[in-house]
Amino acid sequence: MAQNDPLNKKSSISAEDLTRLSKEAEATATPSSRQIIWKEFKADKIALTSAIIVVGFILFVIIASFFIPAGSYKAVNIMDYFNKPFTPDFWLGADSSGRSVAKLLIVGSRNSIGIAIGLTLISGTFGIAYGLISGYFGGMTDMIMSRIYDFMLMLPTLMFIIVLVTIIQNYNAITLTLILSLFQWMGSSRLIRSRALAESRKDYVAASKTSGTSNFKIIFREIMPNISSLIIVEMTLAFAGNLGVETGLSFLGFGLPNGTPSLGTLIANATDPTNITQYWWTWLFAALEIIVLCLAVSYVGQALRRSADASQRLGDK
Amino acid sequence: MSLIEVHDLEVHYPIRSGFWNRVTDEVLAVDGVSLSIEAGETYGLVGESGSGKSTTGKSIVGLEKPTHGQVIYKGKDITKSANRQKLDYNQDVQMIFQDSLSSLNPRKRIEDIIAEPLRNFGKLSKDEEKLRVLQLLDIVGLDADALYKYPHQFSGGQRQRIGVARAVATNPKLIVADEPVSALDLSVQAQVLNFMKKIQRDFNVSYLFISHDLGVVRHMCDNIAIMHRGRIVEMGTRDDIYNHPMHIYTRRLLSAIPETSVAHREEARAKREAVEKEFQENQQRYYDKDGKVLPLLDVTSTHKVALPADEVAKLQREAD
Repeated sequence: MAQNDPLNKKSSISAEDLTRLSKEAEATATPSSRQIIWKEFKADKIALTSAIIVVGFILFVIIASFFIPAGSYKAVNIMDYFNKPFTPDFWLGADSSGRSVAKLLIVGSRNSIGIAIGLTLISGTFGIAYGLISGYFGGMTDMIMSRIYDFMLMLPTLMFIIVLVTIIQNYNAITLTLILSLFQWMGSSRLIRSRALAESRKDYVAASKTSGTSNFKIIFREIMPNISSLIIVEMTLAFAGNLGVETGLSFLGFGLPNGTPSLGTLIANATDPTNITQYWWTWLFAALEIIVLCLAVSYVGQALRRSADASQRLGDK
Repeated sequence: MSLIEVHDLEVHYPIRSGFWNRVTDEVLAVDGVSLSIEAGETYGLVGESGSGKSTTGKSIVGLEKPTHGQVIYKGKDITKSANRQKLDYNQDVQMIFQDSLSSLNPRKRIEDIIAEPLRNFGKLSKDEEKLRVLQLLDIVGLDADALYKYPHQFSGGQRQRIGVARAVATNPKLIVADEPVSALDLSVQAQVLNFMKKIQRDFNVSYLFISHDLGVVRHMCDNIAIMHRGRIVEMGTRDDIYNHPMHIYTRRLLSAIPETSVAHREEARAKREAVEKEFQENQQRYYDKDGKVLPLLDVTSTHKVALPADEVAKLQREAD
């Protein structure tokens, strides 16, 4: 800093005081957001349990699926036709082709959850960025961008996905995720836009503009953190919903390619009346898993939202 | 030469209505304002709410795009954003906002808030930057422990002082203060105003002081312009405005300053009523037939007023 800086003359603070004052400031600093989130989960035992269930389960299915060779859950074995559950060889029974439901469930969960995560990340990132830009600039930009997603919302999404899946010959989990992402970003985009519109008229945005901050930085470093609670809630809810998108498609038979297990194909067993009444183990575990996962995810989302909003926090008390 | 000159500034907002959402009318928020601010002075811009004083201030900082007119700084018209970028205009012209809470990003720590203009306009190392933020906090009377706190942990007066510190960070030449103390209670108002005065003495900064409070303006300003309906009705030195008010609107504003002497209560009331009566009866003399403010005319070298030409000629003779 220049020696003739008027600040040096007018303020009693000089360079020697820097370390001492920094230490003083750190001692009274407000806890970081990570500490706040941890406090919030400690205060809410249900959310903590849910977080452990979700993270533990996702890690479990991903790691366990590496130890299940593709042959072992694809091979048909007529001798094990509808084997009962809770036996040493078949923990969760076997389906009509004599395949282990437990193995199908693990590999199927990995596929379904993987797609749901990928879908949430891709469509969420795009949708949030789209909504923020649309809301921040407003005017003509907003008008054009809004009409584009209005048009996308109007399309019969399910029909398009089914047609695309039928047209594309060789598709796998990744291409399916990308196809689904094309039609999933509009909801979050519209929600984020409305908040960004209100937020970008506030004075702190004007203050940032007069401080010489670029538009791009204002959008992603100033406005985005201020609607982070909305983003977190939106993303967790979208994750729970996206779990249903792939599952629903697979249930209808248009999801992952034939022979690839997923939660949807397991639940599809419940379309058969005898399966529902007699061979309940073929579909019940998958259905229970979805219910438990979706519930747990929404509990985690609630705790995250509270930690993002000082007035709702439980952890401070 | 003046620090900054505003020539015939107009900000009109379109009103859209009807089935096709076409522009059917315009709001004349600012309708031809000219003023010039000297280096080191405090220029007061006074008027009721909706008179366009904030919009004028925002246009001068570059937050509002004028529909017509120029703001000349260092010989360039800064209403064009290319010129603002070339001059690094906002390094020299900063703003203090009315609402201290909403003008500070609730998700940022005080250090990051005050350092924001420093990061954008200067190249300081981490330690230099932190030292500078600490010095700025010291200048507005805040302790070092404010550094890592969030805006909501401060009182209104403290927050406004943080806003002042941010505005001063880049050593600006002009600070547009948009009703900086109107949201604060009286004891805190004085405190913030005194910090602003101290900063003016120390850094030789000019203020464009926007306010509706004539008491505060008297304490702060050297030159004053009174705005009404998007135009200036009267401008002059503090003495011109407070001791020789000419326009009826100025007189109305002055008579609205509350007086706390119980003994003269009836007297003050009679004065207020007389001014109001004159305004009601002679309104057409002070405004044109559309209710617009008349063009400004010189009475003395410092004092301008928006009155009909014959009236001004009479006043000039009286002044001589």
